[in-house]
Amino acid sequence: MADVGRHPNIELLAYSEVENVAGYVGNFTVTVRKKARYVDVKECTACGDCIDVCPVTAPDEFEEGLATRKAIYQPFPQAVPSAFVLNIDECLGNNPIACGKCLEVCDKDCIDYDDKDEHVDIDVGTVIVTTGMEVYDPTELDEFGYTRYENVITSMEFERLINSGGPTEGHLIRLTDHKQPKTVAFIQCVGSRSENKGNPYCSNICCMNTVKDCLLIKDHYPEIDIKVFYIDIRAFGKGFEDLFQRSKEKGAIYIRGIPGEIEEDPETRNLKLYVENTTAGGTDCHEVDMVVLSVGVHARADSDAIQKLLTLQRSQDGFFLEAHPKLKPVDAATQGVFFAGCAESPKDIKDSVTQAGAAAARANRLMMQGKVSVEAITSTIIPDLCKACGICVKVCPYNAISCDTKAKTPAVVVEAACSGCGACSAECPFGAITMKHFTDRQIEAQIDAMLEYNSQDKVLAFACNWCSYSGGDLAGTNRFQYPPNTRLIRTMCSGRVDKKFVLRAFARGAPIVLLSGCHFADCHYINAVHWTQRRVEKLWDELEKKGIRPERLQLEWISAAEGQKFATVMRAVEDLRQKVTPEEIEHTKKALAGVLEPPKPKAAAKKATEEEAAAQAAA
Amino acid sequence: MAEEAKFKCLRCMSEFCLPYTPGVTEERTCPNCMSNSVRRLKEKKE
Amino acid sequence: MAKLDAEGEQLRVGVFVCQCGHNIAGTVDCEAVAKFSETLDDVVAVFNNKYTCSEPGQLEVKNAIDEHNLNRVVIASCSPRMHEPTFRATLAGADLNPYLLEMANLREHCSWVHMGEPEMATDKAKDLVKMAVARARSLEAQDEMIVPITQKALIIGGGIAGIQSALDLADAGYKVCLVEKEPSIGGIMAAIDKTYPTMDCSI
Repeated sequence: MADVGRHPNIELLAYSEVENVAGYVGNFTVTVRKKARYVDVKECTACGDCIDVCPVTAPDEFEEGLATRKAIYQPFPQAVPSAFVLNIDECLGNNPIACGKCLEVCDKDCIDYDDKDEHVDIDVGTVIVTTGMEVYDPTELDEFGYTRYENVITSMEFERLINSGGPTEGHLIRLTDHKQPKTVAFIQCVGSRSENKGNPYCSNICCMNTVKDCLLIKDHYPEIDIKVFYIDIRAFGKGFEDLFQRSKEKGAIYIRGIPGEIEEDPETRNLKLYVENTTAGGTDCHEVDMVVLSVGVHARADSDAIQKLLTLQRSQDGFFLEAHPKLKPVDAATQGVFFAGCAESPKDIKDSVTQAGAAAARANRLMMQGKVSVEAITSTIIPDLCKACGICVKVCPYNAISCDTKAKTPAVVVEAACSGCGACSAECPFGAITMKHFTDRQIEAQIDAMLEYNSQDKVLAFACNWCSYSGGDLAGTNRFQYPPNTRLIRTMCSGRVDKKFVLRAFARGAPIVLLSGCHFADCHYINAVHWTQRRVEKLWDELEKKGIRPERLQLEWISAAEGQKFATVMRAVEDLRQKVTPEEIEHTKKALAGVLEPPKPKAAAKKATEEEAAAQAAA
Repeated sequence: MAEEAKFKCLRCMSEFCLPYTPGVTEERTCPNCMSNSVRRLKEKKE
Repeated sequence: MAKLDAEGEQLRVGVFVCQCGHNIAGTVDCEAVAKFSETLDDVVAVFNNKYTCSEPGQLEVKNAIDEHNLNRVVIASCSPRMHEPTFRATLAGADLNPYLLEMANLREHCSWVHMGEPEMATDKAKDLVKMAVARARSLEAQDEMIVPITQKALIIGGGIAGIQSALDLADAGYKVCLVEKEPSIGGIMAAIDKTYPTMDCSI
């Protein structure tokens, strides 16, 4: 930690948050908000004079609320940067009548009650997301009585109690009578591997953490009896089995079964654990002095913000999703962004350090080349067709298009800022925007080829590259079986799927058309997926007007992690297909025959498109 | 209090009410079959 | 009748059907798909490979481009999310613009998900190749934009992972900006007493 503070190449912005990210691989501009600390981080020497005079006490977060701190404080003795911070909400302020004591005693004059948040812009080439995780709060598990019974604590609270730098200077005591417990029980998988409350996955670290805790207790207090209640002990890592066996040799007793209920003896404040022993059979009652809930971990609640800023994806468990589980385990799908540590999945310190090294190596590999080529999938304006209506400017999630609607000069795309979603191309009422590598002609050729023969037997599905197409890939790697009637057409974003593609498919005899893209929170192009939704809503109305059942156009959001949902959707659309009659298809073909006709003569086309544009602008 | 509107699922055809704010594009899921083909029913019934 | 592309060049499409060992060929009749491909417009050469992504497979693609003067390549194998970069590099190695490649996903989207229905899977595979050829015929060469990379990294979060990444990159000579939400770095690790498997202090 201290190395970070003094490394000449590292700029440490503590007490700061990333508020905005613009740009793309190699050229990100990041806006960071440096939160008001009210203490000059460079001047403060952490002498502690201010603490002595501060009259306010508050629960110490670092000590899990087991101790108190002042309103001005250092988070913990070895903190980096080694400077104090003032919690302005708790501080009595600089009103001389109210307080102002810390300012008086600070020799270096480094306290400023009027300190303000500050914004700084930083240009970087790569980003590593190491936002970590949160520890599960077991209060909702009523059966364990956490917060109701004082002698039931979490494994994080235990860490502070056994730590020589902690509130009890390392003496393990019960919270009710401050006496050393005679027996301690550990309950495993609290908030993990549960379909009801908590999380369905294994949190990875809790088994070994408990094994370690058993050894710590036995090292300090060989006389304390330890019982560990578990489902399975997962001691899979290097040297882990040794530690597990050592904890058993030292006397820790492992009992297979999770207590269904804990009761407190109101007099002794001891705890009675009722548990079905799944190895020996039968239900037992164990009385102990203290219970430690070995709590699991989950994704941080503020992951949403980072996800949106960097257009990341998350797997169903809430952790960030890697570009490929085997081959790109630390890369994000967004080029130039990497993951390490618990932000990606629960892991211990060794794995975090390993992954951090890998992420650093991947970032290094990119940066040391000095330059990078960006996929040539960007939009291009055809100036002759552009009527400078300005719709594309509103559509673009990246503000990459500018257009002077008053001067009526054609719109201009800043190619470096364009990420290639294609929403502008799909929304342009004049067909004046083409997407490189995903042109109208290319996509229409796919539609026509697919529906040339036996169209009645097939479902046409548009899938976005990042989510639904990948969800389909995941269904494949997992061998989730589904009916073979669907044909996918891949676009970078579902926002690229023009209304005319859907109508063309119906005109060519498609019984069902599916539009699939990312969930709104996963959209790789900020919010381009919103245009998909709006377009589909309009299409449903339009189909209905033409006497075509709107349900023949389906809409689904499928993430890259939802292989199961992909297969379910494929089954659902096949069921719907079977209900579409040949007569219905013939009727649709006739009703939409117009969309297959070549463009109208110029004057008429001009009038029609202008009317359409007016209607769109009004909408 | 958020306004509610009537929606119809175009997969299972069930009808239900969901929060709705005019002009806001939202992701919607059918509470019955989990489909996202959820269409707002425009005829207003008071 | 052979058609011309946007550049006025005569279209010459090569189709490579990959068996992926047993992964595709176990369900899809690759031979039939290859035969079918021969009937498609502008297709001048069709190959049926065991593993198109392998060294010999890629060499076959390269040789075929030279030999048959191919100007569009369709590879019917796995997901483009798997091997598109591989085959784009193969095309570039044969002096063909990488954007003149199209892939048909016969594995993740076909053979692996329709294992019980080989006939219908083969029909689907034919359609997927037909669609890929149709798209390939209107593909255009593209030039990728080369952009410089700022020699600085941002690390979001100062827990053990962030600290380690920051130090590794800083030691490698890059400027690093480490952003931490809390007043101190250290994260959850800092609150832990001893750590396994070494049973030493966390800080």
